Amino acid sequence: MPVSGSSQACVPRRVVVALSGGVDSSVAAVLARDLGADAIGVTLQLRRCEEAGAGRSCCGIDGVTRARAVAGCLGIPHYAIDCSREFEDRVLRPAWDAYARGRTPSPCLPCNRHIKFGMLLAWARRAGATAVVTGHYARILRVPGEGPGLFRALDRDRDQSYFLASLPREALDAVAFPLGILTKSEVRAIAGARGLPTFQTPDSQDACLTAPGQSFAEMLRLRFGGQPRPGAVEDESGRVLGRHPGIHDFTVGQRKGMGIASRGRLWVRAIRSEDAALVVTDRPEGLDTRGMRVRDVNWLVDGPAGSARGCQVQVRSGHAAAPATIEVRDDGAVQATFARPVRAVAPGQAAVFYDGDRVLGQGWIDATD
Amino acid sequence: MTRIYLDHNATTPLDPEVRETMCASLSEAPGNPSSLHAWGQAARRTIDRARAQVAGLVGALPEHIVFTGSGTEADNLAILGVVGRSRRPHLVTTSIEHQAVLNPCRHVAEAGGAVEFVPVEADGRIDPARVLASVRDGTALVSVMLANNDVGTIQPVEALSSALRARGVLLHTDAVQAAGRIPVNVATLGIDLLSFSAHKLHGPQGIGALFVRPGTPLAPIAFGGRQERGLRPGTENVAAIAGFGKACDLAAARLAADATRVRTLRDRFEALVLARIPGTAINGASAPRLPNTSNLTFAGLDGEMLVIHLDLLGLAASTGSACTATDGSASHVLIAMGVSSAVARSSVRFSFGRGHGEADVELAVDLLARAVALMRGESL
Repeated sequence: MPVSGSSQACVPRRVVVALSGGVDSSVAAVLARDLGADAIGVTLQLRRCEEAGAGRSCCGIDGVTRARAVAGCLGIPHYAIDCSREFEDRVLRPAWDAYARGRTPSPCLPCNRHIKFGMLLAWARRAGATAVVTGHYARILRVPGEGPGLFRALDRDRDQSYFLASLPREALDAVAFPLGILTKSEVRAIAGARGLPTFQTPDSQDACLTAPGQSFAEMLRLRFGGQPRPGAVEDESGRVLGRHPGIHDFTVGQRKGMGIASRGRLWVRAIRSEDAALVVTDRPEGLDTRGMRVRDVNWLVDGPAGSARGCQVQVRSGHAAAPATIEVRDDGAVQATFARPVRAVAPGQAAVFYDGDRVLGQGWIDATD
Repeated sequence: MTRIYLDHNATTPLDPEVRETMCASLSEAPGNPSSLHAWGQAARRTIDRARAQVAGLVGALPEHIVFTGSGTEADNLAILGVVGRSRRPHLVTTSIEHQAVLNPCRHVAEAGGAVEFVPVEADGRIDPARVLASVRDGTALVSVMLANNDVGTIQPVEALSSALRARGVLLHTDAVQAAGRIPVNVATLGIDLLSFSAHKLHGPQGIGALFVRPGTPLAPIAFGGRQERGLRPGTENVAAIAGFGKACDLAAARLAADATRVRTLRDRFEALVLARIPGTAINGASAPRLPNTSNLTFAGLDGEMLVIHLDLLGLAASTGSACTATDGSASHVLIAMGVSSAVARSSVRFSFGRGHGEADVELAVDLLARAVALMRGESL
């Protein structure tokens, strides 16, 4: 009589679940455990306890406390890993360097690549775990003949694939996103039904980077003791309209804070790092770009080189991806040409290439056309 | 899963007899020990009885014991309390003290005083001559722990007392790890101030004591009522004090037998580990040690990750003081002993207690061998 399964299949797979203390990661842990995984909860501490203050940040001590409560409720072990130094070196400092050059960083992507998955995957392997499970809204699907691919979540309003597109391709083999096929209300319902202590916690996305009453850029400037770079505010013809207090606090497409009174609507069209000048426009169409160059592309599909291909490109969080043609140049950078102009494309931000729901790759917007 | 708790230097299980004493105290009619009436008197009697028991463990008189909220608080009261009454701005302590001593000393230094941290010898012992050489005319207090929490080495505190007394310098010892594990006697030690704590000797958490030799000038560090002779104001934690008393009574009665038994288990554990697991070494083995403490280095392994693997297998150990465990840093004691930071990071502390038996040792070594093999990628 044939015996199905090997003895190894009966041994529960050890997985690490990233527990932020929010509802999403708690439900991810529940689902991982329901699937029979031997789950270990881990919370990454991005800042030191002394710094967390009274904020309701997902990364502060209160997040660890809630994560510990969740782990206790599920009966799984829980550990906190201090990532504050790496977070500072690989996320905060590069973000400040970008702002100081008049660029607009996307810090969540390096955070996901180096911290939330980089450090956590390395830790998980040392702890004998085969996968990292998180509460992100995205899907990992097997593509025949190609291995795992990264796809948008079914709940488009919650989709976080843009932020996850920075993951190294080999990491896709070792991550699982059980919430990718659920809606947020389904997730809250599961949390409520299981009596999880987090089922009413507020959404925590990006909370680690906010400080009340202060821009992220200004918070970074104070943290690293950077000097503001004031400069001229010019119109498209080069006429100086006034001066601004520092380029770090501006981003392409921004409407406020230029300190120019009694004029009509003005938008930041470009930030010139050489002389710290802001170029502004009074026409919304002045923000249109027809294309862009994207550097340091992280491909999540096979062989993108060769002839131009059509795809959709998302140029910032919350942007509905725009149809474009992309072509890989000899130096590895990508030239993207939009089918219709795209407004307010900001150098420094992440560009993510999609084919429908599937993420093709991600790079950094270097210049616009 | 069978679980084995080898972290008695962090805290110990409550003795069932202590629990009974505490439950009885909690079940009594309400009474504030400072109240005049019969209810207050009953609570006061509970504290009186416990104070005698606690004093008995360290050979002191009851009236020389001040109850505090923890061993840490007792250390703070000793150090900051002496500084508060002294015109001398200088303190001498050692590099291997617990945070409960290091940090009040640093606080004194930040507030304008001066502190000397005497280095430890390679074997984990403090050289009394180096301590005495650090003492100067303006020294108010010397604080040297009786037994180290990380490696268990016993410090030659008694060798300091007569020389210090001759120079008018007060002597404090943090006996938190020593009390209940080795004989501790304030007269033999010639000590002026001695801190200890209930939860390291199978009593409750959240209660400590400071022995204060009569005549020792000591200022309070908190202000309020006249409890504990004004040195520790605030309504007493009567049930915890009752439990502390019972725990000290039990510890005094069982000390010699427990120490012998636990030492045998610890020595057997170390012999088995050295024999079965390659690349292991004992830290602090050449000096007199607490009978229950074993600090081991596992070459090439990350101690913190080993503790996690052991936890997942059901064995509790630690990389050092629980008060520093969340720093993710290596033991400051091992670093002070001169070992490389790589070796310090590869070290784990195992601490036994009176509840253990030989089967626990065998199982602990099995689990440890499994965890180390897993981490080294060896098949079992």
